[in-house]
Amino acid sequence: MFLSLARVIKFSLQDIFRNVWLSLVTIMILVLALFTVNMLLVVKVVGNTAVGAIKEKIDINLFLKSNAKEDDILILKAKIANLNEVKEVKYISKDEALEVFRKKHENNPEILESLRELGSNPLAPTLVIKPADLDTFSVLTDKINSFDDEIIESRNFSNYKLMLNKINAITKKVTDAGIFLSSIFILITILVIYNSVRIAIYTHRHQITIMKLVGASNSFIQMPFLISSVIYTFIGVLILVFLFYPLLSLLQPYLETFFVGYNINLIDYFYSNAFSIFGSQFLIGSLINILASYVAVKKYSKV
Amino acid sequence: MIKFHNVSKVYPKSGKALDRINLHIRPGEFVSIVGQSGTGKTTMVKTMIGEEKIDQGKIIIGDWDITDIRQREIPVLRRQIGVIFQDFKLLYKKTLFENVAFAMQVCGGSPKKIRKIVPHVMKIVGLESKMDRYPEEISGGEQQRVAIARALVHRPKILLADEPTGNLDSLNANEIIELLLRINRFGTTVILVTHNREIVNRLKKRVITIDNGSIVSDQEIGKYVL
Repeated sequence: MFLSLARVIKFSLQDIFRNVWLSLVTIMILVLALFTVNMLLVVKVVGNTAVGAIKEKIDINLFLKSNAKEDDILILKAKIANLNEVKEVKYISKDEALEVFRKKHENNPEILESLRELGSNPLAPTLVIKPADLDTFSVLTDKINSFDDEIIESRNFSNYKLMLNKINAITKKVTDAGIFLSSIFILITILVIYNSVRIAIYTHRHQITIMKLVGASNSFIQMPFLISSVIYTFIGVLILVFLFYPLLSLLQPYLETFFVGYNINLIDYFYSNAFSIFGSQFLIGSLINILASYVAVKKYSKV
Repeated sequence: MIKFHNVSKVYPKSGKALDRINLHIRPGEFVSIVGQSGTGKTTMVKTMIGEEKIDQGKIIIGDWDITDIRQREIPVLRRQIGVIFQDFKLLYKKTLFENVAFAMQVCGGSPKKIRKIVPHVMKIVGLESKMDRYPEEISGGEQQRVAIARALVHRPKILLADEPTGNLDSLNANEIIELLLRINRFGTTVILVTHNREIVNRLKKRVITIDNGSIVSDQEIGKYVL
């Protein structure tokens, strides 16, 4: 059993090295296919981070009149907090707002000077409302608009939903393009593997005739070609890993600059999920390539 | 040993290759199957090793009815029947030892067994001193002997020789026939498919003559009659 397996692997390696250029082309196409699949994953991670970053920022500011009484504000806050579409409501008093404002502009003496010259606190108390679900964001804005409380000075509904939709649309478009590209590369890989096996069978047709003549089993004749496709996939994934991590290292600083203040670390993501990402790619790739080889072997090994 | 019961085979393009063949070859016999080209001799060989399916009749090898042999059983059959061809079918990048060993390797033979059997069969065919050479370094007759050695590694009960002398001069051809006779004396059933009149007439063994896919003559000590 082990002897036959060892011989099958030996024949398979012989097959790869005897057609070394064909093997290299096959592996390169495989690497390209795997590369596009992994870039797709990168797009997904970046897209998720972008969406997460925006979701974190989404809130509705309800600016209240400066002279609004604390009790009225708390009643309004409780009313809003009772809405199903609301996750939480935060009350920022005039003093807190001033504190935040000062802290924000501590490096800008002109603004601080203007504030001092005014003599009094010009900022209004605010209710910061976090929505429970983005899908019900418009329902929430409608409901808040319907509040006709006299202490409400103004309302600020930035159109985050539109922004999110745009990001989702861009991510979806990139993902769709990636899926299309990956599909093409996977299809090319299948065709290349199929043809590699076909050529390998043609190269070894004399040997296969002899193997059949002397009583080699069909599985023994066919197995080396199937093993070759697994070896191609293994080498392909290995090359990809060696290429991909340096590429991620190059990409990482740009992403960190872009998503400043947010935790986005592609290298960490690919390190901590390396086994599942590359392992599953090896398994799925091997399975697809074995199938392509099997079809070729069944069709052409009848020498 | 080998029985053909009313065996017929038709090729869609070229027509009838075998027409109701009835034949019984006993164990240890040396039988020549003769006939002109395209009369069905090679088709008979192919049906015996499971390479061609028959359309009608029954073929029995030993106690095994191979008429409807399954694909996965064919290797088992071929390990019991040694076959040699006119074109030797050797691997030219392998030494003579490796060529013979290859037949055992692909059937799961252990290295120990290979080291024991290959020199033995090479000695039988008289090539024990040339085992490290490559096929291109030896004569056609010697190449055919390597093919015979390879056919013998599984200790077959039947040796099918399909035009084994077709590519050889008369001297080498005679040596091959002598070798086949020697193998037959060890108890192996030898079936020689040929259209070499001179060889058949000199053998003074059983001769089955085929014409148009039918047996037209079967003589215990026969001659080439066509």
